[in-house]
Amino acid sequence: MGLLALLKKLKSSPSKELRILLLGLDNAGKTTLLKHLASEDYTNVTPTQGFNIKTVQAKGLRLNIWDIGGQKSIRAYWNNYFENTDVLIYVIDSADRKRMEETGFELTELLEEEKLAGVPVLIFANKQDLLTAAPPAEIAGSLQLSTVIRDRTWNIQPCSAVTGEGVEEGLEFVSKTLKDVKK
Amino acid sequence: MERAQKIMDGFKLNWINFRDADNGKIIWQGSEDLSSPDVEHEARVPKKILKCKAVSREINFSSNEEMKQFRLEQRVLFKGKCLEEWFFDFGFVIPSSTNTWQSLIEAAPEDQMMPSSVLNGNVVIETKFFDGNLLVSTSKVRIFYI
Repeated sequence: MGLLALLKKLKSSPSKELRILLLGLDNAGKTTLLKHLASEDYTNVTPTQGFNIKTVQAKGLRLNIWDIGGQKSIRAYWNNYFENTDVLIYVIDSADRKRMEETGFELTELLEEEKLAGVPVLIFANKQDLLTAAPPAEIAGSLQLSTVIRDRTWNIQPCSAVTGEGVEEGLEFVSKTLKDVKK
Repeated sequence: MERAQKIMDGFKLNWINFRDADNGKIIWQGSEDLSSPDVEHEARVPKKILKCKAVSREINFSSNEEMKQFRLEQRVLFKGKCLEEWFFDFGFVIPSSTNTWQSLIEAAPEDQMMPSSVLNGNVVIETKFFDGNLLVSTSKVRIFYI
């Protein structure tokens, strides 16, 4: 399902701008994921030094996806982009076990943000195409997701932004959640 | 130096491209300095872009300065008349950042599409960047269908 297809699924909802925020550590694969969603070549993706936004419009509905760079120096600016977020997608490099604690810390910080209170969260356990990738259950365990995520809809979805595996299922969750948001 | 001048001097429009949104392939990309305000740039775009079911326009820009109320106005003009208009609020811009904005839109149905011979050289895409009310940059790209 590409971005236009995702938008079409939502077309019955009242016309409004929808905002999806894509966050995660640097090298988690946020931009590659975004490229995959637009069927674009991802081989030249470089570290994001700011934001990448994709706006999709069809039949009066507008969807904005904000991908903000994940380097430590940029994370300090993340809070400028929280407002009016409808869904948060948090991307984790499942093969980067050394930084599992760091990504867990950043996620926990986000979950405590007042401006993101109640915002549904999709966690993409990315890079499942790598042999060293931790399975989603292991990530959910080491990040204690069922304890730290409260009072909101959430899901963890294994995926590979490179092969596209699991991305569709993640989008299904997003589209279902956005429909609920509208009600 | 005045803040407005600093923002303008530190702003650069790096490139613009058009893609077939169905397959993500770039149809045209311009990387000359598109922000020089008084120059009208020209894009020679293959006619087949008019057959695409959905097209994307992407802009890449850099800013040295932090901005708080950054926004864009993009208009597609046909013989000076506005066919399509986009307003987009970015809000905050990180200092020393490079950013992209891509808009994907579905094309008009084929029977409502003007032929390339009519459109050729008569379409201008005008993009204006503002921080609040301060005009930071303007770019105009005239489209030729080849």
